[in-house]
Amino acid sequence: MKQQVLTFILNGEEVAVLVTPTETLLDVLRERLQITGPKRGCDDGECGACTVLLDGEPVRSCLTLALTVEGRTVTTVEGLMVKGELDRLQKAFYERGAFQCGFCTPGMLMVAKSLLAKNPNPSRDEIRSYMAGNLCRCGSYEEIIEAIQAVAAGEY
Amino acid sequence: MTQYVGQAMPRYDGIGQVTGTTKYVDDIVLPGMLYAKCLRSPVHKGIIRHLDLSAAERTPGVVGVLTAQDVPGQNIYGASGDQPVFNPDHIRYKGERIAAVVAVDEDTCMEALEKVKLEIEEQEPVFDMFEAMKPGAPIVRPGTTHNLHEYMPGMTTRVIKLGDVEQGFAEADLIIEGRYQTTQQDHAPIEPHVSVAYLDPANRLVIHTVSQCLYFHLSQLVRVFGLPMSQIRYIGGTIGGGFGGKNDIHADHVAGLAALKFRKPVKYRETRREDLRYSGKRGVFVMEYKTGVKKDGRLVANHIKEYHDTGAYGGFSAYATEKCGMFASGPYWIPNILVEAKTIYTNKVVSISMRGFAIINGQSTMEIQMGKIAEALGMDPWELRFINAWRDGDMGASRYIVRGAGALEAMKKAAELAGVQLPAHLMAMSSRRR
Amino acid sequence: MREVLYYAPTELTEATAILADHRDKAAVLAGGTDLLPKLNYYEVKPHALLYIGRLGLSSIHNGSSALTIGATTTTADLATHHLVQQYAPALAQAARLSGSVAIQNAATIGGNIANASPAADLVVALLALDASVRLLSHSGQRDVHLADFFLGPHLTILQPDELITQIHVPLSPGKTEFLKLGRRKGQTLAVVSVAVRLQLDGDLCHDARIVLGSMAPTPLRCRTAEHLLRGQKITTDLIHQAATQAIAESSPITDQRATAWYRKKAGEALVQRALLQALDKKEVRP
Repeated sequence: MKQQVLTFILNGEEVAVLVTPTETLLDVLRERLQITGPKRGCDDGECGACTVLLDGEPVRSCLTLALTVEGRTVTTVEGLMVKGELDRLQKAFYERGAFQCGFCTPGMLMVAKSLLAKNPNPSRDEIRSYMAGNLCRCGSYEEIIEAIQAVAAGEY
Repeated sequence: MTQYVGQAMPRYDGIGQVTGTTKYVDDIVLPGMLYAKCLRSPVHKGIIRHLDLSAAERTPGVVGVLTAQDVPGQNIYGASGDQPVFNPDHIRYKGERIAAVVAVDEDTCMEALEKVKLEIEEQEPVFDMFEAMKPGAPIVRPGTTHNLHEYMPGMTTRVIKLGDVEQGFAEADLIIEGRYQTTQQDHAPIEPHVSVAYLDPANRLVIHTVSQCLYFHLSQLVRVFGLPMSQIRYIGGTIGGGFGGKNDIHADHVAGLAALKFRKPVKYRETRREDLRYSGKRGVFVMEYKTGVKKDGRLVANHIKEYHDTGAYGGFSAYATEKCGMFASGPYWIPNILVEAKTIYTNKVVSISMRGFAIINGQSTMEIQMGKIAEALGMDPWELRFINAWRDGDMGASRYIVRGAGALEAMKKAAELAGVQLPAHLMAMSSRRR
Repeated sequence: MREVLYYAPTELTEATAILADHRDKAAVLAGGTDLLPKLNYYEVKPHALLYIGRLGLSSIHNGSSALTIGATTTTADLATHHLVQQYAPALAQAARLSGSVAIQNAATIGGNIANASPAADLVVALLALDASVRLLSHSGQRDVHLADFFLGPHLTILQPDELITQIHVPLSPGKTEFLKLGRRKGQTLAVVSVAVRLQLDGDLCHDARIVLGSMAPTPLRCRTAEHLLRGQKITTDLIHQAATQAIAESSPITDQRATAWYRKKAGEALVQRALLQALDKKEVRP
């Protein structure tokens, strides 16, 4: 299939990559750019493991056609660290064991990041509701909620 | 070392998880890597009459195809050693693998699969295990005469026996019967099944696997590939959830066979939908209870008829059936137990291991039965459970001696957490003595 | 490999010209939440993808008699926009309850309508608000009442060369409510959803809308139930009668989310609840 150049800002840097029209943003990130933080869990928009921030808002990269992000800004879990320092959410997830297998973690972190940007002090119900689209089959939901609460409470 | 006991420690591999740098198998992309997709049976039961892969093979970008004929060793895998990697003739369930297409990418594989000419003579399937046990039912396994697993030649019922249930029922004041069913269940780990295989410079077959039990699988794979174990580097360790589902081989056989035939790195992965529709599941259990009890609440006899639907192949089912039966009387002292368990084949996907390994199927049904017994006795369900809970030295269905019993203490804690005030005579009970 | 063309026009005339060219061989892409699963799983194989996210159709305006909502306005925008909250609170509520945050950020109102799912949350609310859609093609445009738009599950009167460009929501008075029952609270498809609108004249019901989702091949206006309420004094008894009648008009199926039996039982309770709760809601005044 004929390839086209796609240019966008990925984790703060402009990238240009050849893609085909049917590729998703997840395909391009994982298979072409080896940005493998976002995970392919369902290719169906259900699980949330592929969630990235598009212009700061969480979207499913598996449901985002790659060419539609032309000129836009994409942030993945790889873009969370600043100057080699873990983001506060990363620290809290790590120290509080907010995962078991870790496959859902990159998606969870991105949605949590967006939540705290909008609502720095969310209630437990607000966290549950905002995170509802991200599934964790290991069942680490309690630890995930507590990690987000701990960050909101300024513990990290 | 002791300073760590009782402390919550960060995971040794946790930094990789929170930074997205942990390498899961699907994160591996190798130069020149090929992809495989499988042709699956569109019918539940039938005989393959014609398979023509030539048009698929000619599709630009396709490197080649795999069928049963491309298996250098034996075309057999699975916990029961009865599943073909590629089914050459008798289809037993919808979605069973028949062939694979290997190409430069998955889009090309899918395009090629559309060009396959497959003719299957469809046969009447059977999905319900009680239907499958009736005379004249469709036969799931070709060459056999019935749909029951044989524990030994001719032995289709697994019996577990403690004491004498008939004597127990004679002593009982009340006999309570109940029939319960647990449903099929998928593991649905967020990471779908995937495998990457290639030949290393020493010509060894390297496989990156999501297996939960590498050595079980290695012994199955050497048979499929016809290679000695020393010729396979089987690399596992990082998986995105398994829950027992990855105790079965789902992708390594296909990726390995493709790498061996085409001598290139090959990735084979199942989509979420393939996984949900066609991979192994926790099978259906039907449990029929007949329980004898004294008026004072002591259980004296438990006769259980257990039926476990294994689907189209054996999987881990014979073992799961036994395990379920052994523990289907719950953590309760019952001097007379008889379990009669059957494992039944149907034209469904294979039943494999899943969390709790079938023990929870029997234990949960026993708890429903306990509720029914308490109701029949007019007794508080806590009291019924406390009276009968295992104490150290009691004996379980398969004559194991109970040591370190803890059901009473667990129930006391549960009552506390649930805000239930238990009477003093129950709180005084201990697992250390009856 | 198959060639697929990708277009991302910035002018409507360009978009309709592309559609006129490719007709049913083109797939219109907005938020992608319904189209991409089908593409990812090879269920649709379009020759052309027409991305309409750069046509400037993502705005909400307040006219003299109606809200005008651009077809690519996202569900997230509907949920939070002050005009929607003020004049179409049932639509804002339906938007809030649809999908997860990440889905809401991508899914569009036009997509929810064009996809024509019997469970479409936004459509259920829009039907209760008497909304209409503007359809544009190379040869002209037409406005169609949403109630006349759906033919069946994923079937509509939309022609292959037509594009939904705008949704008009009349500014009509009334008390509204949208309720949804799913298998879970977040990111769920409706087992049953209900939107109601009551136009009151003192304690008399001047006009009513009762709309059910997931209860028929298309989102369903329960016209006989609405008629029961019209001109009557609203009582608890009457609300119960209307709920029973609404369910009598429905024809739910049994699927993986619920049985038809359960849908009817739960649906009746949900309609009652929606009507009762609507009475307590602040009246929308244009």
